[in-house]
Amino acid sequence: MATVHTPLHAAPGPAAPQQRAANRSDPAAAVAPRSPAVPLDRRAPSRLPDRPLGARVGLRRRALAWLRRTPGILALMTAVLVGLGVAAGTAGIGAVRERAALVSGVAAANGPLVLAAQDLYRALSDADATVASAFLLGGAEPAALRTRYREDLAAASDALVRLAGGATAEAAAAPTRRIAANLPVYTGLVETARTLNRQDLPLGAAYLREASALMRDALLPAAQDLYLAVSAQLATARDDASAVPWLALPLALLSLIGLVAAQVFLARRTNRVFNVGLVAATAAALVAVLWLGVAWFGAAGHLSASRRDGSAQVELFAQARIAALQARGDESLTLVARGAGAAFEKRFTETMKRLAGDDGTGGLLGQARARATDGASRAAVDQAIADVKQWRDLHKRIRELDDSGRYPEAVTLAVGADEASAGGVFNRLDEDLARGLTDGGDRFAREVRAAGTALRGVAGGLGVLMTLVLVGVLVGLGQRVLEYR
Amino acid sequence: MRKVAVALAALALLAGCSAPQQWGAPPDSKPVQPRPAGVQDPAVLPSSSAAPANCDPLASLRPGALPPPGQPPAGSSMAKIVQRGRLIVGVSQNTYLFGHRDSRTGELVGFEIDLAREVARALFGDPTKIQFRAMSAAERIPALKNGEVDLVVRAMTMTCDRWQEISFSTEYFTGGQRLLVPVDSPVKSIDDLGGKKVCAAAGSTNITAIAAAKSKPIPVAATDALDCMVLLQQGQIDAVSTDDAILAGFAAQDPATHVVGPAFAAAPYGIGIGKANADLVRFVNGVLEKVRADGTWTAIYQRWLSSLGPAPAPPVARYQA
Repeated sequence: MATVHTPLHAAPGPAAPQQRAANRSDPAAAVAPRSPAVPLDRRAPSRLPDRPLGARVGLRRRALAWLRRTPGILALMTAVLVGLGVAAGTAGIGAVRERAALVSGVAAANGPLVLAAQDLYRALSDADATVASAFLLGGAEPAALRTRYREDLAAASDALVRLAGGATAEAAAAPTRRIAANLPVYTGLVETARTLNRQDLPLGAAYLREASALMRDALLPAAQDLYLAVSAQLATARDDASAVPWLALPLALLSLIGLVAAQVFLARRTNRVFNVGLVAATAAALVAVLWLGVAWFGAAGHLSASRRDGSAQVELFAQARIAALQARGDESLTLVARGAGAAFEKRFTETMKRLAGDDGTGGLLGQARARATDGASRAAVDQAIADVKQWRDLHKRIRELDDSGRYPEAVTLAVGADEASAGGVFNRLDEDLARGLTDGGDRFAREVRAAGTALRGVAGGLGVLMTLVLVGVLVGLGQRVLEYR
Repeated sequence: MRKVAVALAALALLAGCSAPQQWGAPPDSKPVQPRPAGVQDPAVLPSSSAAPANCDPLASLRPGALPPPGQPPAGSSMAKIVQRGRLIVGVSQNTYLFGHRDSRTGELVGFEIDLAREVARALFGDPTKIQFRAMSAAERIPALKNGEVDLVVRAMTMTCDRWQEISFSTEYFTGGQRLLVPVDSPVKSIDDLGGKKVCAAAGSTNITAIAAAKSKPIPVAATDALDCMVLLQQGQIDAVSTDDAILAGFAAQDPATHVVGPAFAAAPYGIGIGKANADLVRFVNGVLEKVRADGTWTAIYQRWLSSLGPAPAPPVARYQA
């Protein structure tokens, strides 16, 4: 055990440290006459005749006297440092494990739930828009639209099951129930409408309107509530996972300060500047504090990026996709209403404005463009902006045709699936937005994984480091205590 | 610390849940009742303006000689329409046999559609120079007043109240308001419907007539009379009450319903025209004179309404003194 002696360090000369050590004990000596030990001793027989109390006073006096001596102080220091080390280690490990669990919850549950809620809303809106345009085509509806409607229903049911299983938020229960109760009623109305349409009965259109009202008044608002509930659940989990470890960090810092103070005390009390045990403990504590800090900072950074570059983008794309769908539905319904569709047309204009602003570069797409961080997502947004522009031009033409009495031509231009019709352009726009959404989802998953990686191994590392701190303290101070025997 | 709090919260939750979730407790659900958009239950009644006492709702303006197609008198309402290149007509696309959408072609067809085409034929010599604008009953008068449409041919009952706001052509079809009920319903007439829900289109004379019935039924209004049919099939109302020809169209779509009772309100149909266009009223009346006389009216009736029985004689035109 190499102990380094003061001469290597202290400039004033060999005598100075001893002198300083003696001086250092002076305050304690100066306090001694005022300390209770002496006066109590003198007054004890007269005032406190009973022996048990006297014995207790004696014990306390002895303890205080012992604590005033260096070995006592050293023992007290050991206890405090060990206590702090254990507390900081436990708190640190607890904090890291809790955050790691929350991060893996965000990756495995909260994120996918938000996606499921978006899937649900999109699938429901798409089902409604698909049914409306199938009606517009009349008679035997095209197989492609029928397939699309069935796929929408399958996607909605699947998303609903995922949500019902995973959403723990209280606010998610009521909307989930509402959707589960309304969806079969909706599909029943659509099938009734379909059957009547095939028999060429106008009653079919009335059932379709009732189905659409149920979708817009009950199902879609419930899907929106559900989305808000799981989004809040995600935000809470993410905030908790990136919260500053307020218990562990101060305890670890306190333990570090305690270690330094102990060494300063030792250096003054003895003529040795460095105590290998305490130096090792300090180093371990320092590494622990830094590691905890870096891991927390890294995880919080990745989580914040998972929102900024991931889920916030996903939300923009999802909203844009839903807005496009609603506009598409309104375009069809304006034609279905055949002149009585001014309300649908008004809503189309408003929805398009929300989607792309007045000039086609604002709105949700404008926001997504401003937030796009890589080439791929920027390209997806640019393509979507171009598609919206083309769609608006086509829509203008459709309205002109319909308003000038050329209804069949307007319908053909609206529902066609080729590139030159509104239907084709809408499908392309939907694909662009889906691509942007998938990119955002991938980035979200990547950042959350990175946050998990930042926390990986930290709990075990903290355990090892804090054990080192404890061993260092016990060995370092134990040695000094033994020297006084 | 947090874990302890979570554990305590979970325990509290478990303790809280154990009470209501007992075995055999009824499920927390109730059946969904969908409704067409815009149903009013009970209905808001249309306001009625004070009509002059000596009004004959069936009397319209006397026609002059019909100008040849494509050559309307200069400066007339007809000249404006010919210059525009098409006649704009408000119709129904939900009234089976009167104006409905042929689901195979997507085109509007029916008795009223064909009648409107006759007006286009007289204007242009071409029955296809026409643009249909589907509208609900409540939208008819506003659309005429603000000039969105030239004519409204949409089962519009001629009343003195409405004469205050618009003009009518002569009568082109005589309807009467009756009831449509499920075949197993005990209802025989409006007198059996006291306190029961009876549905008609919002803004129609039918709603007013239901509310005025002595038995005091509860009027329910829907955007379109066809929405009433949906409500009836779903058991949300007890009867639909509108004009017999429209009800016959409804009954034809659902064999489990039938038309019952005597007509309790008259429903003469006229073509609605803007108050300012007296020349157009006279022109349309001229067209109606012609189709009555040359058998076109009867041919159109037989094409669409033969299910109501053999074609009667066309309604006799009445003119203001």
